[in-house]
This record gives sequence, structure tokens and C-alpha cells, in this order.
Amino acid sequence: MRVVISPDHSVPVVAVNIWYDVGSRDELDGQRGWAHLFEHLMFSGSAHVDSGEHLHLLQSLGGSVNATTWFDRTNYFETVGLGALDLALWLEGDRLATLADHLAEASVETQREVVKEEKRQRYDNVPYGQAMAELAVLVFGADHPYGHTTIGSMADIDAATAASAADFFRAHYRPGNAVITLVGDVQPKDALKRVDRALGWIPTTSRPPRTPATPLPPLTGIPRKTLTDPVPAAASYLAWRLPPRDTPEFDACDLALSILGAGQTARLHQRIVRELELAASAGAQALGLIGGNSLGLAHVRALPGQDAAEATEASLTEIAKLADDGPTPAELERVKAQYAREWLTELARFDSRADAISAYATLHSDPERINRRLAEVEAVDAAQVQLAAATYLAPDSRAQLDYTDGTPDATA
Amino acid sequence: MRRHDQRPELGRTPRWKFAEPEQFWLDNGLHVLLCHRPGQHVAAICLSLDIPLNLEPEHLEGVATIAQRVLDEGTNQHPGASYAESLENIGAVLDGSVGLSASQLFVSVPVPRLPEALALLAEAARTPELNQADIDRHQQLRLAEIEQTLANSAALAQLTFRTATVRRRWRASRPAGGTRESVAAITPAAVREFHADYYRPEGGTLIVSGDFDAGLHAAVEATFGDWLVPGTVDAVHHVPTARLPHRWLIDRPGAVQADVRLGALGIDRADPRWPDVQVATHAVGGAFLSRLNKVLREELGFTYGVHLVNQPMRNRGLLAVQGSFRTEVLAEAVARAGSLLDLTARPLTDAEVTQAVAFHLGSSPLRYSTAHQVTENLAALIAAGVTAEFINANARALAQVTPASATSALAELLPPDRLTLVVVGDADALVEPLARAGWPTTRHAAQA
Repeated sequence: MRVVISPDHSVPVVAVNIWYDVGSRDELDGQRGWAHLFEHLMFSGSAHVDSGEHLHLLQSLGGSVNATTWFDRTNYFETVGLGALDLALWLEGDRLATLADHLAEASVETQREVVKEEKRQRYDNVPYGQAMAELAVLVFGADHPYGHTTIGSMADIDAATAASAADFFRAHYRPGNAVITLVGDVQPKDALKRVDRALGWIPTTSRPPRTPATPLPPLTGIPRKTLTDPVPAAASYLAWRLPPRDTPEFDACDLALSILGAGQTARLHQRIVRELELAASAGAQALGLIGGNSLGLAHVRALPGQDAAEATEASLTEIAKLADDGPTPAELERVKAQYAREWLTELARFDSRADAISAYATLHSDPERINRRLAEVEAVDAAQVQLAAATYLAPDSRAQLDYTDGTPDATA
Repeated sequence: MRRHDQRPELGRTPRWKFAEPEQFWLDNGLHVLLCHRPGQHVAAICLSLDIPLNLEPEHLEGVATIAQRVLDEGTNQHPGASYAESLENIGAVLDGSVGLSASQLFVSVPVPRLPEALALLAEAARTPELNQADIDRHQQLRLAEIEQTLANSAALAQLTFRTATVRRRWRASRPAGGTRESVAAITPAAVREFHADYYRPEGGTLIVSGDFDAGLHAAVEATFGDWLVPGTVDAVHHVPTARLPHRWLIDRPGAVQADVRLGALGIDRADPRWPDVQVATHAVGGAFLSRLNKVLREELGFTYGVHLVNQPMRNRGLLAVQGSFRTEVLAEAVARAGSLLDLTARPLTDAEVTQAVAFHLGSSPLRYSTAHQVTENLAALIAAGVTAEFINANARALAQVTPASATSALAELLPPDRLTLVVVGDADALVEPLARAGWPTTRHAAQA
């Protein structure tokens, strides 16, 4: 297990953050949603800890505890008062060392239901809730590691058993497949000793190395889908295949999408919402992923009762214009200034700083890179942004998902 | 290396106290709170204006929201889009919120650009253009936003619970941003008039947190010191009263889940029972293994999560169980939640109270660890009419809570036979099971 410690003595607390290098991209056929289901099971008790007790104990000491699952990872984190650091580390050690042998069928059954409720609450019962899942298929194809989202499939979740969950755990939850980061009011030498005592004894075997992902070229043929759903207003989502996260090409795409779609001065908002008054909102963003490709996204949401086609066309015109003419110097400076504030805000909190460090250690084998990110983004020039827009954000290289208001088609 | 089966002892966590802000008043009445936080390189500013929404004319409710949203569409000094460009050029971002008791503007900015950000914030508050085209557009966008809110089950449940709990004569019974009808009636003249009358320094507070230097005082004085608005405003904050309990079912045909709100009108931070209710709320529905979540999520798998939420206003508050349950188990979930709220049958224990107090005290340093959090939390207190001293005073009060005091406070506020219930879901599938479970409801149309 790799350990990163970043002392900060401003508040007497410490953030503990563990990244396991397993996400929805690691789920095989028939396992869609298991990484996330497993994240729930990590709180269901281990050799010396009862179900729910991990969260309960630390919360009862004022700690904040949670976990999340994403395409590229599953992270577990707790921020606690200094006096509870040993307990937090011990709890992490106990579940990593013993959880597979203590998975009860009853826990799996309950958490299957909880996860299905989560799916209903966050995706099925909210307008536009299926957008990301549909875009993942359109952009990558259902068989690609990024072709499904973390919530997965109800059928696969239903099929999970205690035994299969234990196998999934043994395959991915190993010290050698994890990074632990501590940020807070600690001394590195002492903190390392504590981490070692709680987690150092757990035997590890290395996981077979990943097959390096093959980057997919930009899309052709404009894969499209229309969903008819009871939505309050029509909407369109555009998506592109981008280069992997935090490469110079990705950073250029990220800045291009910010110029188009982040903040009040962004081109899509200015043109489509403010000048043409064709939409209630319009925006764009890059979603960085490590496995060969990232995802670029743009959206327009129509005003109630109108359709989104004209606003979508206007967006594509703006995107093409950026590829043709490039950004203005002022625009480029502005999105870099915004990037810097957002990055510094991210690093201002112990918990999000720890998460960023774990991310760079896990995905880039370089935790120190958090100190160079601003310089890397600063170095991207206008020509690179223009080239990125032309290469990766071409209107013909998009996928498109349209929502129209109505009763869902019975055959859908 | 040896394995450790023994749970480690707890060590000592140094006691934390909120470092109180430096405070002073400008001659025009603006209260200034400066929170110096070393190492916080992104400063967080809030300009909080004392604008109770009961100042809005009832037929124009939402006018405060529109007035605020148009502020950054251009100022006399930076017309049109050049205002937003100036802000974003220095890495700043401006947000706003209009609540029942305050209109607040927030700016985050890297510390070196703090003086420029203050000047731009002052422009937006003092000398916005308030152009007709921008006002008209924001009116349309707010109407679109209302449709989005009504289409969201959880948001609709929240809105309806407010209506079901607070008597209709009070502003707090209606959405802060106005309704379809009242927003549609707003005119540019009404927006300009609202701004001219109520955007003023008296009663307002400027909060700045971050690793700033001594030059900040001069920057504050230079940007806000000469802000004078003629006339006076009597900014009375109403104290809402409760309706009789209602049990309403709002139909969302075919919904796979139903959103529940079960509770009553609650209390505000000035009520002597406040710390008791904080503790009781955590034990019953705040902690992961709270009484509600332990049974309804961890034992039964009925929900992704259920909470008892204590949502204070400046005067009184809303106190309700909040959760989303699949249609088939909804009635049973409501019945069980109703029983779990009944503390007379099962009073809170010593352990529950100790854990809840430890949670509140232990999580405080975390809630105030960044400039952004300090400003945001202080802004919420200021809007609620309490001062920064509340933070440390409340910590002392929490330590005095007993199982008896916490139990009786919650039992008084949530008497089991006088709870208001709002369910948003597939009414045809829910109405009979709810009645059978002892929770008969009447169908109620969603209001906007």
C-alpha cells in the first residue's frame, strides 16, 4: 500500500483517504454495478466491527465518513479529530483484511435493496436522470469499460451473492492496489508509524497488471438517441471522446469546453441564453478519465414548451466557431484564472486535498503533481485550444441525446 | 508485522474554539466581520442584506429573487457582459441566494485580487444597470425554473410541506422565489423599485474570510464606506405560526418512488430548546445508525437514506422526516417512521445523547476549516439574526443537554398524533395502503 502524508496544522483534525484502484470500468459482463454495491458492503461489518459500526463509531466522535464509486476508482474517506486517527486506521485495516470472510448473505440482500433505492431516487425518479447512462453507451458502446455508469444494472445487482461479492473483493481490494493519504495536523514520521501499525501487516499479492487501454478515435456518424419522458422541458446533450485526463491535449479540451460552457461569460450562455434567448440553460464541461479516453459534454435545456433543436444547432455553430477562430487572449486568461481558483479551492479543504493526492498517486503514480497542475494548465496556449476544439470537439464527432416531453414509449 | 485485533484507545483531540472575527461598523451602518484564516488563499466574501421577504408585495413575490439575479448582468461602471468578464478575469465567481430573511451575495476570489473583487461586489449591490431586457429574461428563466422544481419529486415534497405546515398569511408558507402567478406579474419597474428601496447598508453585514493582509480595512472602507441610501426601511421579520396538521398526497402517476415529509413547524436558534433539538434530531434521524436510518435503511432496505431534518428559519423552523421510498413499501415506511418519532414510548438514552453531543462538538472544526465554510456558515447565522458568538455559546449549551431535556423537546415539537404528512408519489397505488396503515390522506393538487 502506498502512503502519502501531507501535514497541515491549521485545524486539529486529519483527513484519511483511501483510493482502491477499482471502478465501474473494472466490472465484467454480469457485474455491472458491483463496484458500487461493494462500496456499500464495506460498511456492513468485518471480523471485529459490526454492521454500520465503522460509520457509527467515527460519527459519534464528530468524524465525517463516506465513500464513493466512480468509473476509475472507489474511495473511502473519513475526517476525524486527531485522537480518533488510530481508530480510523484500524477500522480501515480490519475491513481490508477480513471483510471477504465476513460477508453475510443478509447484508448483501439489504444493500442490494438500498442500492436499488439509490438508483430509483437519483436516476429513475428525477427528470433527465438517465442522461449519463445513455451518453456512456452512445459515446463508448455498451461493451467498453466506460460504456456503463457506476449505478450499473438492476439485473446484475440482483444477481450478486455473498460469494460473488467476496470474489470481487479478493480480486480488487488488496493493499498493493490501494493508496492511503493523510492530510492534517500530523507529523509525517509519527503518522507513517500509525499507518504501518494498522495496515502494514496485511498481506498483499499484486493484481495482474491492467491491459493498457487503447484510446478510441473521435466518433463518426453521430450516434443519436431520443428519449420521450415526462420532462419539464426538452433538452439535448452532446458528448465527445476526448484524450485521457491531464494530458496536454485533455487540458486544451478542458479549457475549450470552459470557454464554451463554464460561467456567465461562456460563449454558449452568452449566445444562446442571453442573446438569442433560445434556452433556459446551456453549458459544457470535460470529465477526465484515465483509461484511454475522457468524456466531453455539452447541454442545452429549452424553455418550457419549446423544442431544443434550434438551441442545439446554435451550440454546434459556436463550437465550430471556436475551432475555426480559436479563443481570444482574454477568454483564455479568464478560464485559466477560473481554473486556478477552483483548483486552490479544492486544495483548501483537508478532505478534498487528500482525495486529489490519492487521485494523482493512483492514476498518475505522481502525488507531487498537484503542485505542478497550475503550471501545466497555464502552459496551454491558444493554438492548442483551437486545435483541440477542431480535433476532438468537431460537430460531426459528437454523440447526441435528445429528451422530448411525453409519455414513454411502451416498447422502449 | 503483527496483526492488531484490539481496537485502539482513543487519543486526545485538542479542544477547538471558533476564532471569533474582528468586527467593526462603517458609519453608514454596515457591519463588517473579518475572519483571518492563515493558509486560506481563496478568500470568501458575503454581503448579507437585511431584506425579509415579507417586504415583497404579495402579488409580486419573487421580485427579490429577480432583483438579485439581474445584479451581475451589468453595472453603471461595467455595462452589460463586461461586468461578468471583469469578475471572471480576476478568477472570481459571484453567487447569490435569496432567503426568507436575507438577500446574500457571495464572491470567491484568490486573495491577491480581493480588493478588486470587493469593488466589483459593491458595484453590483449599489449601481446595477437593471436593464429591461435582462429583467425580462430572468423572469422567463425563473418561470422555467419553477417548472423544473415542480417536476422534481423531492423539491415538490419540500415545497408542499412548507405550505402544509405554515399558516397561509405568512410569507414563509410560500416559495422564496415566488410562484408562477406572482413571478409572471413582476415588471422591470417593480424590480428597480425593490432594489432602490431595500438595497442599503443599514442592517447589512459584510463578511470576509481568508489569508488577507492589513490593507483589507482600507479596501472595505473605500468600496462600501460612502454607500448611503436616503430614507429608512422598517425591516420587520415576521414570526410564522403553524397550521392545523394536514395529511396530503400529491399525485405523480407512475412514479417508482414516493417522497415523504413527516413533521411539524419547528424552532429557531433563539429557542432555549435549540441544543436539545439538535441532539435529539441527530439521534433520531441524523446519524448513520440513527433510529430511523437503522431500521428503514440498514435493516429493511426500504430507502437509500432517511433523515430527520431540523431546518431553522430566522423565526421558527421546519422539522421533518425526509426520505424517498419505493412505492410498494411506502405505507409501511410512513407507519414505522411515525412510531419511531414517538419518544414518549422510547426516550433517548445516555449513549445516544453522548454520541450526538460528541458529533456536534467534534465536527465543528471541520465545518469551519476553510475560508469558504467560515463565510458560508457565518452568513447563515447572520441571516438567522444571531451573531458569531453563537458558535461557541452553542457548543457550551450542547454540553448541558440531558436525555430528559432532549426527549421532551422533541416530544413537544413532534406529538405523534399531530404530525403533518406530505407524500409525493403514485397516488392510486398509495392512497389505500396509507389509509390501512393508519395514515389516511387527502389528495392535494401541486401548487406553484
